[in-house]
Amino acid sequence: MSRKLIASLAIAGVGSLALTACAGGGGTKSTSAGTGPGGVTTLKLVVADYGTGPSNTSSKYWQSIITAFEAQNPKIKVNVTAINWNDFDNQVQTMIQNHQYPDITEGDYFANYAQEKLLYSADQVLSNPDNLLPVFKNQGSYDGVQYGMPWTTSSRTLFYNKKLFAEAGITTPPTTWAQVQTDATKIKATGNVGYGLPLGPEEAQAEALLWFLGNGGGYQNASGQYDINSTQNVQTLDFLKSFVASGVTEPNPASKNRTDLWQQFASGTIGMINGSPALIPIINSGGKLTSSDWASVQIPGKNGPLNTTLGVCDNVAAFNANGHQAAIKAFLDFAYQDKYQLQFDKEYDLLPATTSATQALSSDPIFGPFLKALPQSVQYPSTTSWANTKTQIQQTIGTALTGNPKSVLDQIQQTATKSQ
Amino acid sequence: MSTNVPRANPLRRFTPLLWVGPAAALIIGVVIWPVVVMATTSTLNISPDGFNLGSAGLGNYRELFQEIALPGVLMRTAVWVVGVVVVTMVVSLLLAQLFNQAFPGRRVARWALIAPWGASVMMTSLIFRWALNAQNGVVNVILHDLGLVNLGTDQADWLGRPVAAFVWMMAVAVFVSLPFSTYAILAGLQTMDSAVYEAARVDGASPWRIYRSITLPLLRPALIVATLINVINVFNSFPIIWEMTRGGPGYSTSTTTTFMFILKQSYIGESAALSVINFAIVVIVALVFLKVAKWKDQVD
Repeated sequence: MSRKLIASLAIAGVGSLALTACAGGGGTKSTSAGTGPGGVTTLKLVVADYGTGPSNTSSKYWQSIITAFEAQNPKIKVNVTAINWNDFDNQVQTMIQNHQYPDITEGDYFANYAQEKLLYSADQVLSNPDNLLPVFKNQGSYDGVQYGMPWTTSSRTLFYNKKLFAEAGITTPPTTWAQVQTDATKIKATGNVGYGLPLGPEEAQAEALLWFLGNGGGYQNASGQYDINSTQNVQTLDFLKSFVASGVTEPNPASKNRTDLWQQFASGTIGMINGSPALIPIINSGGKLTSSDWASVQIPGKNGPLNTTLGVCDNVAAFNANGHQAAIKAFLDFAYQDKYQLQFDKEYDLLPATTSATQALSSDPIFGPFLKALPQSVQYPSTTSWANTKTQIQQTIGTALTGNPKSVLDQIQQTATKSQ
Repeated sequence: MSTNVPRANPLRRFTPLLWVGPAAALIIGVVIWPVVVMATTSTLNISPDGFNLGSAGLGNYRELFQEIALPGVLMRTAVWVVGVVVVTMVVSLLLAQLFNQAFPGRRVARWALIAPWGASVMMTSLIFRWALNAQNGVVNVILHDLGLVNLGTDQADWLGRPVAAFVWMMAVAVFVSLPFSTYAILAGLQTMDSAVYEAARVDGASPWRIYRSITLPLLRPALIVATLINVINVFNSFPIIWEMTRGGPGYSTSTTTTFMFILKQSYIGESAALSVINFAIVVIVALVFLKVAKWKDQVD
């Protein structure tokens, strides 16, 4: 009796062992989706999802472009996959590691792929690459050639909740760190969160940079060398450490992600938070704050507001592994039309990435100020070590709030300079 | 196993191969081959984008052992496995005993126990993450209504504090491990001969004495196998930690399995080196366990 039981359970045991084994090595098979039957080329488009739910998922937006495109180009089919922002880098990287290349990605762009010669350059897949916003050209370039093509852009400002400010007796928004501390303390006294500090893995690299900039720091120095463990940056984290210790932020910022805190801001229980235009639809759909209940201002620095902000662009990259250059070019030329750029910005409250679309939007009352800030904006580094560095910042920078800022930054600096 | 193969026809000696062959092929393809690939990968210098840049010798292992987070990760893994498996087995023993009794609604109760097993572990973890939300998670709302925590405070932020988060994740791991162990033990209980119990009672043994001297020894085979499988499963458990804390903040709630995955994003070779070590740990733990539990005595 019991022997039978053992036998059947032992089989289950072998199965479990097999799982351990499978957890290891990555496959190295190469699959290339060639030209299908009837000379139809199928493009694999992988995009980050900017939507806030199924109703406005990015695959819907892309599908409308694809439908119009396929009607004009019967020989090309496009399959779109939208991936949640939290998983985008990871999943795209896994596809690349497994040599299952997409044709086009839209989301984060990494210079590594250009270095590995996996990408078409911008002029190979766009008829008019000069229409892309020039301020982001450097960020998308490797060895002087542009591979990352900005698709959508945004800049950051400090959002604040006017209702909570009034309740706490604050009349003007803060411009310095000291004022941020004072105001956050007053808001905390009303029973709400004074300042939302998302230093969890989703976007810690952005939040940290916005604070670094406020103290004249950043990820790189003026000559483009990594300078992550600079005195200014250590000072900044020392300030944040005492800021968090004073209890005016949400508890345990190292484990809090931007999306969650933005939603909490929209529900009206956070006084201040750094945001991009993408926060606006979240506020609107939350239904708790009307447009007169919040405002946004320049981000406070140590001694005064930042005169530059973080300008972020999400990029299109075209992979060459499947050899679909002509089809990709046809599709990208089609998708980069102004009307689709503007449709995207309207749908997700982001900014355009082409000169012609920017001009069409420059007088817009909401987007105008953000657009004006773009040309002076600071960008993320564009070296090939940035991908690893970014992953490490996301994973570890929050630990500086309870640990030793200097040693956390030293380790990140080591990663940034190791693989250069 | 007996090997009484008739000697008359020499070809018939190969008949067993016909039966064993497919299974052997499966094990070679699904178990052994990945292990070989994993071991090879751990000695290669592989770029983050999956290109083989040549041999790294033991460089990946050197890098791995220099990771500052590694000692903490290893220790946490030990706590994770021992804690989850011990609690699971103790609770399963009680549950199986309960389910072995006749009571009204037993069938429904037995079915209900399968639910955590049938549900995707990822979904279970997500639901627990929501339930533990510091602002409005159902667990916190209940604790708040009982006057035990204040919403939105550090106290309510279970998943933000590494130790509290780790304890909660261990609780979830126990929750999803219970059904299998309980059913394994229940199966063992049901094979028992009531005559033995009858005899014990006639001899005047107390219920506790009966449990210790009859039930537990007869359950040994079921307990050994259930424990072993749990050790392997819990050691490899990925979705609970990944969905609830992503191993963070920093690496402070990572076990070797999640740490391996985080490493894979940037350092494939090093990640493979950790896989090799993980695999070795599982094999060694299993062998030691079987040795200590005198597995062979049970089978023969």
